[in-house]
Amino acid sequence: MATSRKWYSPYVSPMDPCPPLSPVSYETPVQLYLGFQPRGMEQFSPFEALAHGTLWPGLYTPYTNPYLLKKRGIDTNG
Amino acid sequence: MAEPKQVPESYYSDLKSLQAIDFTLVELTLYLDTHPDDLEALKQFNSAAKKSAELRETFEAKYGPLRQFGHSLSAYPWQWIDTPWPWQV
Repeated sequence: MATSRKWYSPYVSPMDPCPPLSPVSYETPVQLYLGFQPRGMEQFSPFEALAHGTLWPGLYTPYTNPYLLKKRGIDTNG
Repeated sequence: MAEPKQVPESYYSDLKSLQAIDFTLVELTLYLDTHPDDLEALKQFNSAAKKSAELRETFEAKYGPLRQFGHSLSAYPWQWIDTPWPWQV
């Protein structure tokens, strides 16, 4: 499932007392790119909307756990 | 000690459909705040509002008042104090 999560590897100084778990990920939800919501976007049915937490599938951005990938080893995403 | 009467199974499905319609109303309200001239959304909002009122009416006729301070009617005797309370449902 294509997630809106992006990864980067921060510079880690040798002096860094607490280096981050690299690579670090950040979420880029749809509304960053969407700006003003267009008209007539496709809609969920009421029950699906209640389950998904939004009326529009286009704006559905669930939390994707980055640490699952990390458990399967760092190399999966560079 | 009298066992409090359990709500029928249909209580939950009726409540769920009411919640679903009310959620779409919340979403449409927020959408219409920023898109006041979107006619289809406004029509959908009004039809959903009517549907929600109908659903609430049948729900309250069957299971008792949902809202207080005159927003819901109550049968005799005063049903507001009956179980289940919202957090007990």
